[in-house]
Amino acid sequence: MKLLARFDELLGRPVSMRALALLRVLAGPVVLLHLQGFLADGWRGETYADVFHEPYAAWYPELPEAAYVALLSLGAVAAIAMSLGLLTRPATVTTFAVVTYNVFLSTTHFHNNRAYLIIVLGLLAVAPCGRELSVDAWLRRRRGRPALDRSAPGWPLWLVRFECAAIYGASGLSKLVDPDWFGGTVTWQRVVAAREDLEAWPLPDWAVSALTDADFHVVAAKCIVLTELFIALGLWWRGTRYAAVWVAVVFHLTIEASASVQVFSLLGIAVLLVWAVPSTRDRVLRIDPTSAAQRRLRVAVGALDWLARFRVEPARPGSGPELSDRDGTVLRGAPAVATVLSRLPLTAWLALPILLLPGVRRARRAGRAPAPAPASGPVGGR
Amino acid sequence: MAVVALQLGFAARGYWADHKEFAFQMFPEASTWRADVVRVTADGRRVPIERPWSGYRWDELVQDRGLRYPSLRHHADAGLDNQLAFLASALDWVARNTPRDAETRYLEATVTAWHNDDPPAVEVMRSAEREDAG
Repeated sequence: MKLLARFDELLGRPVSMRALALLRVLAGPVVLLHLQGFLADGWRGETYADVFHEPYAAWYPELPEAAYVALLSLGAVAAIAMSLGLLTRPATVTTFAVVTYNVFLSTTHFHNNRAYLIIVLGLLAVAPCGRELSVDAWLRRRRGRPALDRSAPGWPLWLVRFECAAIYGASGLSKLVDPDWFGGTVTWQRVVAAREDLEAWPLPDWAVSALTDADFHVVAAKCIVLTELFIALGLWWRGTRYAAVWVAVVFHLTIEASASVQVFSLLGIAVLLVWAVPSTRDRVLRIDPTSAAQRRLRVAVGALDWLARFRVEPARPGSGPELSDRDGTVLRGAPAVATVLSRLPLTAWLALPILLLPGVRRARRAGRAPAPAPASGPVGGR
Repeated sequence: MAVVALQLGFAARGYWADHKEFAFQMFPEASTWRADVVRVTADGRRVPIERPWSGYRWDELVQDRGLRYPSLRHHADAGLDNQLAFLASALDWVARNTPRDAETRYLEATVTAWHNDDPPAVEVMRSAEREDAG
């Protein structure tokens, strides 16, 4: 019962919806990319109904062609409104409904990337993610009305996290239990089948030979499977989360370069944002306003801090940039700048490896806030 | 909890279902396949679907899921079971949706499938019988 109560408390605990708001902004263009092919066909007068398709259920409602194309167009408009945060909740619900309706029209429409898109849109539709980064919030401010609470019960965020991890986990597990996959046969056969494409790449001959060698795939396949499982599990722990996110980005970029996966890479990378700790403005960056370099840093942070992780405050003239992290650690100079860049979505992937440099690690250790002194008295001394 | 249970259920279902919705089994196989698809007419002729008939063309009727040119060897993107389930459905769909065709009794596909690096296996699939065939 105690565990259940703790779980219930976790689901209901108010957390920042900033990451979901940003995901909502990014999901709009992903939906447009997804609908683009359907709409282009529809505007040419061709729809799924003209060619082989297979309804999931006989009772599933189908629309006349003109109404179907109009519905897809409505979905595209709703996706734009969702991104802008204009009538955010209705726009997100409409986007979710149109995308879901369209995918379930035929088994031939179903792909993993579309399933992931449906899940993400469904969870965005139930999350109060329009209270910031939105036209709605801007209009509210303009009318002089108080801003809505940007925190909300965390369960939609935890569900997006679960689905994100589940996708890597399900994919990795299915390969782990398949002897052909884990043994390297599948990747080897695929690469051998694509040898002509491989040879068209600017790769040296030895690399092509290695990539088409069966022994190479005995090891490579295990690396791929373990990578997926590492991402699925590593995202859950703070100690491995940054590494898992970094690896996941590489993983998606590699897939995008080597296979046709529609919107999966874009969506997969965008969803990684939800692993940011759901609290905002809990790091303080102090910069010297008289220094041109530090002013540039302030501008960069202002423009790129999409997850609202920093408060920027002026420091006394002549001092270097200083970062007070949320755990009380204070960093100064280059380690502070590297840490700031590692917490901005657009620069994180490039900056995270810098945090592993010995100089930055030393600075972090040195900057840790001292542990609070033990309380005095008969009990505190133990 | 319902969403979590549903997701786990879908992931498990992916291990036996032909269509693996929400199971997220990516790039499951290196399997390939090809098929000779013919129309079997009321008088017993076997006409390859590469030849247009009654104003129909296979590559216009069936454009998705790698089924457009079945005589070419293709990768089974989502696994062989999934691919062949789609092929079976496509045969039925074409049989049902070609009303100007008065001669075809059924469509038949002779499928050669290579599951990963296993030796090829051959199977024959047929659409449902058409009632309009003369």
